[in-house]
Amino acid sequence: MSALDRVLTPGLTTGGLVLRVVLALLPCAALALALPEVPHLIVTALVVACSLRWAVTPDHPAGAAALLLVGGWWAVHDVVDWRVLVVAVLLLTAHVVATLLAHGPATLPVDPRLAGLWLRRALLALVPVPVAWLAVRGLDADLAPSWLWLVVALVLGALLVLTSRLLAPEVE
Amino acid sequence: MSTWRPTPSLVRACLFALGGLAGGVVGGLDVLVMLAAPFVVLAAMGLAGRPRRVPTVSTRIDHHRLHEGQGTTSRLVVDDLTGIEHATRVAGPAPHVATRPTYGAAGSLVDAGLPVVEFSPRRWGRRAIGAERVGLTSSWAGWQWGPVDMPEHGLSVLPQTAPYDSRAEVPQPDGLVGRHRSRRIGSGTEFEGIRHFAAGDRLKRITWPVSLRTGELHVITTRAEQDAGVWLVVDGLRDIGRSGGIDGAASTLDLTVRAAAALAEHHVRTGDRVGLLVVAADPSRVPLGSGPRHLQRIQAVLARIRTEGRSVAPERLDLGAGAGSVVHVLSPMLFTPLVTATASLQRSGASVVVIDTWGERDAGSDRLALPSLAARMQKIERDDRLERLAALGCPVVPWHGPGTLDTVLQQLARRARVPKVRAR
Repeated sequence: MSALDRVLTPGLTTGGLVLRVVLALLPCAALALALPEVPHLIVTALVVACSLRWAVTPDHPAGAAALLLVGGWWAVHDVVDWRVLVVAVLLLTAHVVATLLAHGPATLPVDPRLAGLWLRRALLALVPVPVAWLAVRGLDADLAPSWLWLVVALVLGALLVLTSRLLAPEVE
Repeated sequence: MSTWRPTPSLVRACLFALGGLAGGVVGGLDVLVMLAAPFVVLAAMGLAGRPRRVPTVSTRIDHHRLHEGQGTTSRLVVDDLTGIEHATRVAGPAPHVATRPTYGAAGSLVDAGLPVVEFSPRRWGRRAIGAERVGLTSSWAGWQWGPVDMPEHGLSVLPQTAPYDSRAEVPQPDGLVGRHRSRRIGSGTEFEGIRHFAAGDRLKRITWPVSLRTGELHVITTRAEQDAGVWLVVDGLRDIGRSGGIDGAASTLDLTVRAAAALAEHHVRTGDRVGLLVVAADPSRVPLGSGPRHLQRIQAVLARIRTEGRSVAPERLDLGAGAGSVVHVLSPMLFTPLVTATASLQRSGASVVVIDTWGERDAGSDRLALPSLAARMQKIERDDRLERLAALGCPVVPWHGPGTLDTVLQQLARRARVPKVRAR
């Protein structure tokens, strides 16, 4: 038994191992796109730690933390060039990979049919990204009427309430 | 009962989607809106895919009685698959049971059929399989049901029918009709001799070539064919060695049980009546009988044998076996009382054969280690017991599968024709 076999979960499939490595690398790669500008050391350390934790346990909340950290960093720095498109793809891929892995324990082989289904879904989910990117680059928010922001805020609030109600556990 | 709960994937998508939208609108971070856009799609589809009904899930296995090495399939039964996209099941490990997939985890899209797990018991005995956890996922991985523990299923694993055949006749057949050559002359097909025709002989027995050559009528005489009573005495007092199932090393009890199963099957197929006596903490006895159902009964009793430390060897083997019966004592002969009981049986007139099921044991690399010393001492005592049994005229043969008993049974058959004094 090699040293690697002792560290890894017994029965971990090759496909599962590859996906976990990819899952650990994707948020880090999304942050690394900022180079040569170097993100703050704390942000980098947190993203790396959360990504590793996420790769070990794809169900872990560390995944959401990694996504929010990377997304937040890019939003705060207000970068709207081509790199943001790549970041969006990388973050969505990480989320889909984690979803695939979360269908069962580490010993569950990755089902090619399920992987194909989620690839198609990911491509479908990416459709609004270029539209949003063009809107962000081409539209000036200052020119929008004030009532528009009020309506958007109300819709957003309604969405928050609806989502929280849907996600609440059922009363038995 | 479990209900549908949001998956961590859905919670993550909702968090990022709403956080991104809120950050964009409230904080003016429009890049965040762009990054959150695909997650809005995933969150919306996941939320919309909530199943309406709580499913009822159970598992069932195709067989409840198998021979070791055979396999059965555990199937998942879900009453309503509406809204369910994926099913996952993970079977727990069970001793001496192999599973496929190897680690017991199986999952598939419901469209492709519910996942199945295959079990194959590798050792005889009573096995519990199918203790597993089942989880269901809705479309777009939005909601999950379970994982829920499923109850296990009992499986009776009969000993493997090791290949066994014997060409030797049973020494003293005593039944009515069977395949063994009787000592008495009768209406069989086995040639015995030619003699002069006598009143009452059947005409079809006349041998015309001899009659024409000698000028006097001669008839062929044949032996009757009878069945025999065969008793199997199985020593279940101790189990020495580690059992690796049918794929690995065999313990003494493995050898004993498999040899008994092979002998029982051989004799039942030959048409003999077979009885079984299990010497163990929980002794059991199957009277003489024949036929496939009787063989199944013997195999089931063999599969229930369990060793316990408190087991004590009997002083006497009470078989009720007549002088015509053959008794096979299958044992590693580790207990002096069992040796004494076997010798008593031999003296009472039964044809007793001791089948040594010690097998080949590794003495260990370190000859001075305590386990190695203990094993050597045990071997010396055992050899001494077996030599004393052999000196009493009770043949001892190590079990090695087909033909194990041929030479011994032929010798016993010759001995049975010699007049002898019987001790009572």
